Amino acid sequence: MEPGAKVRAFRPALRAGANRFDPVAAHRPVLVFDDVHKAYRADAPVLKGLSLEIQRGEFVFITGPSGSGKSTLLRLLYAAEPVDSGRILFMGREVGRLSRASVPFLRRNIGIVFQDFKLVPNWSVLENVALPLEVLGVNSRLTRQRVGDALERVGLDGRGSEVVGALSGGEQQRVAIARAIVGEPALLLADEPTGNLDPQLAVDILGLFEDIHASGVTVLFATHDRSLLDVRPRRVLVLDEGRASDILKGLDEAAPDRHVA
Amino acid sequence: MTPVERAWRGGRNDWRLHVLSVFSVAVAFVCLASALLVVVNVDAVRERWAQTGRASVYLKAAATPEQVSVLEKALRASEGVTDVRQVSADQARRELGGLVNEETLLSALPVEAFPASLEVMLRDDLAVARLEKLAAQLAQLPAVESVETYQAWSERLAALLAGGVTAAGILALVVFAAVISVVSSTIRLSLQRRRVEVEVLKLVGATDSYVRRPFVLEGAAQGASGAFLAIALLGVLYAIVHSRFDQRLALLIGSGPSFLPWHVALAIVVLGALLGALAAHTSIRKLLVL
Repeated sequence: MEPGAKVRAFRPALRAGANRFDPVAAHRPVLVFDDVHKAYRADAPVLKGLSLEIQRGEFVFITGPSGSGKSTLLRLLYAAEPVDSGRILFMGREVGRLSRASVPFLRRNIGIVFQDFKLVPNWSVLENVALPLEVLGVNSRLTRQRVGDALERVGLDGRGSEVVGALSGGEQQRVAIARAIVGEPALLLADEPTGNLDPQLAVDILGLFEDIHASGVTVLFATHDRSLLDVRPRRVLVLDEGRASDILKGLDEAAPDRHVA
Repeated sequence: MTPVERAWRGGRNDWRLHVLSVFSVAVAFVCLASALLVVVNVDAVRERWAQTGRASVYLKAAATPEQVSVLEKALRASEGVTDVRQVSADQARRELGGLVNEETLLSALPVEAFPASLEVMLRDDLAVARLEKLAAQLAQLPAVESVETYQAWSERLAALLAGGVTAAGILALVVFAAVISVVSSTIRLSLQRRRVEVEVLKLVGATDSYVRRPFVLEGAAQGASGAFLAIALLGVLYAIVHSRFDQRLALLIGSGPSFLPWHVALAIVVLGALLGALAAHTSIRKLLVL
C-alpha cells in the first residue's frame, strides 16, 4: 500500500468460528501495538511508547490503577480514540489509518463488554443481543437461532423475551456478553466488566470469558481487581504512569518474563 | 429489521414527544396553507376575469336606435364575437337591483350611473391584442361613450396576486425555518433519550447511515403528519366558511371559493416530509461521532 493511502474497507483475514482458514494470517499476531503514544493533556501522557504483540487465541489481563490507561488502550483498539503516534495493527490492518467509513467494519470483528453494560433498558434481551446481527443484515430466522445459542452460552437460555431493565446486574452483564459474542468476533474486549458486580458474580463472569476464550476467541480483559488475576495464571499487562509491564505467565510467576515496554 | 421497523420501535417509546412535534409542525403549516389558499382563490378570480370573454360597449345618451342597430350588426360580423346583447339603462338598473337587493341605495344613484350598453360576448381564446384593437376601434364611433374590456380589473388582480405570492413566499421561508427548528429539536431530544441505543449501534459496527436512517424516517413522518394535519384543519375551517359564503358575492366576482387543489395539498405533505427528513439528517449528523 502507498504510504498515506486510506484503507477503504476492513476485511479480516480470519474470523473465529468461520470456516475459512488463511495459514499466513494464522501465524501473524492478532494485535500489535508499536510504540503507541496517547495523551489527553500534554503534561500527562496516558500511554508512553507502548509496544506489545498479542497472539491469536490469547487471554490477556490488562490491569493498573484508575486512570492508568486501561480503557484508553481498549478505546484506541476499536477506533473510538485516535493514537497520537505509533501504530496499532489488528489482523494486519493499521487501525489508525482506517477511514471513518471503515471503522464500522473493524468493530464488526470486535466484541466489547463494558462495566455499565451499555444495554437498552426498555428492550428485551433478544432485541439487545440481536443488535450486531441486525447491523450485519442477518435474516430473522438465523438471528433467532444465533441469539438462542449465545444466550445458552451465557446461561440465559429461554429468557429472550424478558425486558433487560428488569434483570439483575449479573444477568445484565451476561446479556452484554451474549451481545458481544453473538457476531462471533475475532477479538473480545472487556472494559472492567466485573466492576459493578459482587466478588462471586465477578468470578462467574470471568469464568464465562474463559469459556468463550476456550472456543478460540482472543480476549483482552481490563480490570483493576487483583483477585481476579489470581484465579488462573494468565498473561498480564500492567499499566502505570504511561508505562506497560508485560507479565507473560501471570503475577505469581512474573519475575523471569517481566519486561517493560 | 427494516429502518421502518426500527423507526417504529424508537418512536413508540417517545410517542408523546412526537405528537407534540407533529402539532407544532401543523401550526406552522396551517399558516402556509392558508396563504396558499388565498393565493389559489385570488388566482381563480383573476383567471375568471382574464378569460371572462366579454366586453361592455357603453352608449352615449344621444345615440339613436339606428346607430345602435348598425353598431350591433357590425359587432356581430366581427371576428371573435359570439353574441351581442342590448341592455337599456332601465334594464341595467334592474339587473343590478336583482344582485344587491337594495332599492333605496339604487334609487339614490343618478340616471347616468346606468348607461345603455351593448354586452359583447367574446370567444375565450381571443387574443388580448385583438380585443384591445377592437375596443380602440369601437371607442372612435360617435354612438360609443366608452368600452370596458375588464382587462384593468384582471391586471389589478394580477398585481394583488403577485403581492400574495410574495407574501406566501416569505411565509413559506418562515414555515421552513419553523419546521426545521421543531423537527431538529424533537430529533435531538429523541436522540438524547436513545443515546445508549445509538452508542451501542456504533460499537457493534453500524455505519452512520444505518444509525441515521430511522431518525430520518421519524423526521419525515413528523413533517408529513404535521403537514397533513394542517391540511385537514384548514379543510374543516374552509368547510365552515364555505357553508356561510354569500353566493351573490360569488356571482358578483364571477367565482366562488375553492379549496386547495389535491396536487397542492399533496405537495405540502411531501414538502413537510422532505423538510422533516432534512432537519433530522442535519441534526443527527453532529451527534454521530464516536
